Amino acid sequence: MSQSDPLEKFVRGLLGVLTLLAITLLVVIFGIVFWKGAPVIDWEFLTQASSNFGASGGILYQLAGTVILMAGAVAVSLPVALGTALFQTEYLKSDRLKKLFRNLIYSLNGMPTILFGLVGYMIFGVYLKAGVSWLTGTLILAVMILPTLQVSFQQAVEALPEKYRDAGMALGLSPTAMVYSVIIPQSVFGIITGVLLGLARAAGETAAIMFTATTFSGILLPQTWTDPVPTLQTHILVLAQEALNPQAVAHAWGAGLVLLSLTFILVAGALFCRSKMQMESER
Amino acid sequence: MSFISLVLIAGLFGFLVLQSVPILAEQKWDFLLGRDWWAGEVYGALPMIYGSCMVTGVASLLVLPLALGGAIFTSEFLSAKQRLWVKAMMELFAGITGIIYGLLGVALMAGWVKDSFGLIDGNTILTAGLLLGIMILPTILTLAEDALHAVPGCYRDTSLSLGLTKLQMIKSAVIPQALPGIAGAIFLGLGRAMGETIAVMLVIGGLDKIADPWYDLFAPAQSIASKLGREAAEAIGSGLQWSALMALGLVLFFMVMFLTMVGNLFLKRVR
Amino acid sequence: MGASTGNANEPLVRISVVGSTTVLPIATRTAEQFVKNSNGEVSITVNGGGSGVGIQSAGSGRADIGMASREITPREKKRFQTPGLRTYVVGRDAVACVISSEVYSSGVHALSKEQIGDIYLGKIKNWKKVGGPDREIVVIDKEAHRGTRHVFMQYVFGNERARAPGARLVIGSNNEEQAKISQSDSAIGLLSIAWMNDDVVGVGIRQAGEIIEPTLENVRNNRFPISRNLNLVIAGEPRGKVKEFVDYIMSPQGQKIVAESGFIPIHPN
Repeated sequence: MSQSDPLEKFVRGLLGVLTLLAITLLVVIFGIVFWKGAPVIDWEFLTQASSNFGASGGILYQLAGTVILMAGAVAVSLPVALGTALFQTEYLKSDRLKKLFRNLIYSLNGMPTILFGLVGYMIFGVYLKAGVSWLTGTLILAVMILPTLQVSFQQAVEALPEKYRDAGMALGLSPTAMVYSVIIPQSVFGIITGVLLGLARAAGETAAIMFTATTFSGILLPQTWTDPVPTLQTHILVLAQEALNPQAVAHAWGAGLVLLSLTFILVAGALFCRSKMQMESER
Repeated sequence: MSFISLVLIAGLFGFLVLQSVPILAEQKWDFLLGRDWWAGEVYGALPMIYGSCMVTGVASLLVLPLALGGAIFTSEFLSAKQRLWVKAMMELFAGITGIIYGLLGVALMAGWVKDSFGLIDGNTILTAGLLLGIMILPTILTLAEDALHAVPGCYRDTSLSLGLTKLQMIKSAVIPQALPGIAGAIFLGLGRAMGETIAVMLVIGGLDKIADPWYDLFAPAQSIASKLGREAAEAIGSGLQWSALMALGLVLFFMVMFLTMVGNLFLKRVR
Repeated sequence: MGASTGNANEPLVRISVVGSTTVLPIATRTAEQFVKNSNGEVSITVNGGGSGVGIQSAGSGRADIGMASREITPREKKRFQTPGLRTYVVGRDAVACVISSEVYSSGVHALSKEQIGDIYLGKIKNWKKVGGPDREIVVIDKEAHRGTRHVFMQYVFGNERARAPGARLVIGSNNEEQAKISQSDSAIGLLSIAWMNDDVVGVGIRQAGEIIEPTLENVRNNRFPISRNLNLVIAGEPRGKVKEFVDYIMSPQGQKIVAESGFIPIHPN
């Protein structure tokens, strides 16, 4: 005990330093993006179209494109994820099946997104003839974020205190009625958490959309189902490779900061919602 | 409804298999073992498999001390409130996507690696590995921390009442119990690193060759994901080259699927 | 898949242009003008990817117009024989062998075809062997389908698909190549002359005892040995707005933009 004090202190200190390093590293990443990107961001940057191959102007339509893909992905994925989550918690009784589906959904979650992009393009873009379009991108992203939404929804529904279900049953509600009038309303925080996390995941995704949904120039807002869109992610990708043009690189950082901030806000929102959800379930 | 995930995975897998048939019929084992990739002539996947494994390996080695040290410290030495703050931060940072790391890599990291090590060029396995390591740090830290924290209090109480110091308790009671969860966290992190396309594509050098010697971290290389990212647009839809790229995708599918499944297997105790 | 033509209620026509990053500035700038002139009837998307992607996209119907800074290979011709690819020349350009400005100012002003070949084969590894500083050469190669590479390799090795075992890096677009060469102080690469600048200097080609500089003048009078046509590739007969756009690029206004972008117009006058 007293002999190991110095060693104890040392190891504890070492662990503390490692933790601090880990946190610092990540804070530094954010700091660099902020430091390089902030000078570029002003009202014009956020509200103007880009010009001169991205070296001047702003990122308005790129931001719009990213938002369109994100929102579309969640809109498509939400009903499916909610339906599946409810099915698994309310109707499915077999433990073995539950485990199997759980493994499947986690495996789907870990899939490299470039594979989604390639296969998705073949299926939606070529066979279903949607071409390189925001619709193709939305569908691919929807598949990609399905696990994120579903896991969140499932956690929310499972965390629901029994008393709500008991009350529902005491009132004589059928399982379906219970779902609509008790479970979904009470799981709202969990659903919102899932939606925000799904949006965050779709927001930054580049590999899945870079040759399935996007264009660097020529389109402002999509006018039809089959139009591609400009996005922040691909904008950054192209600009990042123009190292000789400091203006272009600066704009890449600016766009990066906007994207990063968007993701942060969404995740922070999700964390907030989740804590509310946990507070509710502890009542 | 639930079969959706099954359908999606099976669909993805089936699609890749179908599209790979032409090249595998043509080259058979030479596809996996061939060291040469030249579109139009020969398609050998080995350099890309090597590249994926190397950058993933480098990433995990670099990040493990930080992730595990951080996990242990957070779980065992921080107050409940501090712990929640750390976990929140990690979840926030886990959301930083590949393109941001790619930008950092191209604009800063490559130059920094080149200057720090006196190389002729900064696009190397090491550079990609560093970026990937930082990328998977939050994920591994938070999952490993979950595993440690989930070890029931009775293990700790028993050890302490037996007279063990806190450190000894952690070493001999907590960590062994949490080991499966920690292993799971690492495997999942590896899976994520292996699948990352954008960040690696921009800094790895794009050279379809196995470095000489194989452990030369300062050499340029090519991972499966970065190869797909760079070459897919060129061959999309049909032809032997497309089949070869799909077969590469299939290899990646297997590798990541393996890591993810093993990871989940370990983690199911924690969840 | 032709350009999506609208009906009477929706006159918006979309034209997609994909391919060579060399032709990209021409396409983007002329598209801007063309769209302006069309009063909102036409919208044109322009994206890079390289000559191979351009030809592939045009042939497979993914894009209306493919951009290529090289000729279509026999393999590609065969692959897309229905409906058959047509080529429209919109300008001329040259591919220079470029090196880092630091190496140039240390005395390497010209290289012969054999020297360039040996460098890309990995036989010459240090700049001092060709009269430069004592530094390892960073050999920068391009993706195999890129037009700039085809033309370069055709000159150096007589084979547009020649391998370069001495390569250190393989990159994609002209922009990326330009950036990498300027970031290094001992690099060599292959680049369209429209991308040369103070940091990225084109060496003269030493041939039959004389040195031919990579200038527009030398391309105009055909002295510079590595030059090429800049092409638009279209599957089948161009119709409607696509034809109008191609005609526009080949018109005097369009050709003016070609010249302003650093290339040689097809009818230089």
